[in-house]
Amino acid sequence: MIDPNLFQLICFYAFGVVTVGAALAVITLKNSVHAVLALVLTFFSTACIWLLAEAEFLAIALIVVYVGAVMVLFLFVVMMLDIKQEQVREGFIRYLPVGIVVALVMLVEMLALIGVRAMQAIPMGANPAAAAGMSNTAWLGTALYTQYLLPFEIAALILTVGVVAAVALTLRQRADRRHESASQQVRVNARDRVRIVKMAAEQPARTTAQPQQPGDQEAKP
Amino acid sequence: MPNFNDILVLLPEFYLVAAACLLLLLDAFMKPEQRGLLHWLSIAVLLVAVYLVVAGQPDGTATAFNGMFVRDRVAEILKVFALLCTVLVFVYARPYLADRKLFVGEFYTLAIFAVIGIMLLVSAGNLVTVYLGLELLTLSSYALVALNRDSPLSSEAAIKYFVLGALASGMLLYGMSMVYGATGTLSLAQLHGAAAHSAMPNLLLFGLIFMIIGIGFKLGVAPFHMWIPDVYQGAPTAVTVFIGSAPKLAAFGMAYRLLESGLGDLAQHWQLMLAVLAVLSLAIGNLVAIVQSNLKRLLAYSTISHMGYLLLGLVNAGPEGYAAAMFYAISYALMSTAAFGVILALARAGFECEEIDDFKGLNQRSPWMAFLMLLAMFSLAGVPPLFGFFAKLLVLQAAIDANMLWLAIVGAVFAIIGLYYYLRVVKVMYFDKPQDGVRLEVQQDVSLRWMLSLNALLLLVLGLCWGPLLGWCRAAFGLVSA
Amino acid sequence: MITLSHFIVLGAVLFCIAVAGLFINRKNVIVLLMAIELMLLAVNMNFVAFSRFLGDVSGQVFVFFILTVAAAESAIGLAILVLLFRNRSTINIAEIDSMKG
Repeated sequence: MIDPNLFQLICFYAFGVVTVGAALAVITLKNSVHAVLALVLTFFSTACIWLLAEAEFLAIALIVVYVGAVMVLFLFVVMMLDIKQEQVREGFIRYLPVGIVVALVMLVEMLALIGVRAMQAIPMGANPAAAAGMSNTAWLGTALYTQYLLPFEIAALILTVGVVAAVALTLRQRADRRHESASQQVRVNARDRVRIVKMAAEQPARTTAQPQQPGDQEAKP
Repeated sequence: MPNFNDILVLLPEFYLVAAACLLLLLDAFMKPEQRGLLHWLSIAVLLVAVYLVVAGQPDGTATAFNGMFVRDRVAEILKVFALLCTVLVFVYARPYLADRKLFVGEFYTLAIFAVIGIMLLVSAGNLVTVYLGLELLTLSSYALVALNRDSPLSSEAAIKYFVLGALASGMLLYGMSMVYGATGTLSLAQLHGAAAHSAMPNLLLFGLIFMIIGIGFKLGVAPFHMWIPDVYQGAPTAVTVFIGSAPKLAAFGMAYRLLESGLGDLAQHWQLMLAVLAVLSLAIGNLVAIVQSNLKRLLAYSTISHMGYLLLGLVNAGPEGYAAAMFYAISYALMSTAAFGVILALARAGFECEEIDDFKGLNQRSPWMAFLMLLAMFSLAGVPPLFGFFAKLLVLQAAIDANMLWLAIVGAVFAIIGLYYYLRVVKVMYFDKPQDGVRLEVQQDVSLRWMLSLNALLLLVLGLCWGPLLGWCRAAFGLVSA
Repeated sequence: MITLSHFIVLGAVLFCIAVAGLFINRKNVIVLLMAIELMLLAVNMNFVAFSRFLGDVSGQVFVFFILTVAAAESAIGLAILVLLFRNRSTINIAEIDSMKG
């Protein structure tokens, strides 16, 4: 029987490796669509890691909100814009060494300075939500709707700004475009559609068919 | 649980949110010809908000929503001036927007949302409120910069602003996460006590560094200033005047809340970091401004140097220093609205009036406008007896009080270097011949002319009697004015 | 056994990858936006881990807000990107240099 702690650790490393690999793919892949998909994988494996930390609500929110909405939005835009691959890749090789060096130096410094060793001594204790006798979602929700009510309202405001801004920036009403008005179509009466006009019967004009217009001649019975 | 009192403390903010939503709806049902009504309504809404902030002044500090929101004198003064600056912006912007088919309701609603962000940010009592207030402000600003949808320049400016702004938020958040990890709290009040004896001091310091980077980006100090010139130049001038005024007050408020209310215990660490940023901003701002030919870009570099001066006040890390920095932020906001206001007053359809050469011979065409610009430029340069002079004096004094005489000397030297490029604008207006083919006419809008005159003359008036304003600033930080 | 350092190191690695991404993809705005998303992910990882190990709910609440704001942010960012592409037919930052000085 495998030790549950060891199993957790194995899971962590497995998902961690996938997360890091996918994140590297995001910044290096040539094709932007592939990069977006790699980002989806990063988020997905991160969500699994959060499940290991028993942050279930956020793990699901990450998948539903991020993968389900934000990443799909990214995909839409990437596919909508006709991006020339070679053009945007210029300078990639030139900056690659700088990027690697900067990232590695930063990583080593951070790990050395923030006291990772001390953190190794801190084990994952009992789940605080369970200790409070709640599920993770209830635990989060209780805090969200009491202590964090004001930030919650501000977040709603931010989403409103997002909507207003996106509409203000991209909605176009071009004068030269013909578009149908659904409400006008629904409200139409039979009277508007067909108008019966009474008029004297007319004799067909006796014009001789033009030889240049064979189509006209054919139409005649 | 929140109760009715909490709502009373937040009354100005709640009122403004409701008013912004109503304006948004009104705009949707309004005919384009009736937009003038929306303009005046927005101004009235802001003025009522000013009244609510002033009228509901409690004697001391009030917190609401479990300490998420702090209402004190500092926040109130910043809010009043942010609201008043936005009123000025609305008045100045109208003719410019109307000339360019940008006179849309979104300008007003987004600006009001940004002001709500400013009000929440300067009143924040928790890292979450700081972040959300900041995002409300910056998200609205991104959209405002891109509002001129058909201008490549403006969308370029917007994307640069967006990428760097999002990066700054990321840095700030990473710092916040470390501070949270080291202290176990997000509340600024609790942080103040917990920061001194954290179990992980290194983690806390790392968090502080990332947060300073984030604050530096938002203030626009060197070396995190890259977005400022492009955004100032690329955005429609009506938006630039907004970005250059009220958000600077917010940036001061944010720095004050995070560094003093939250991490005041680490003052000895952040003082030095801010001093370095201040020197860099003073140098880059003043030196690069000299070679600019575009006035908006010049004013952008001037902003960078002014934010450097603002840091001199913060470096002091004492109430005197904060009072000086707040006084400086207010003076800068008023000076920058005046300077951009003149540009807006001279711009016409198809003529931006943003090159320095466009101002050649302004004195012959419109002596009054030239005089107003002269006041704004001299005040920005810190020529006595204008507002800017006294503000500079205060922050230099604050740096000296913090035992950083060298910093004050650097500030004074760059103030003299900065004089050159402000004087160049004045010289061009008064001593150069008007360019051929440039029609320098002043907008006919009466409210614009009056408010602009009032704004610029205020720089002179406040330069002569700065006493009351300084008294308020000092009182806000618990100092009794002498 | 998983310790706090596991999560924090993973967060730091993600953060550094994001910074490297910003460095090497200076031209492609879409990848820049994605690198910023990675940076936010690193932040969220830190918050979730600290929250779990401190037994404090506020870190997880903060993550909730970051997710919300990031959604609004990317909506606005992509809207600006669409505008930019419409105006300039490119998302190459290097070509976007009409403003100098």
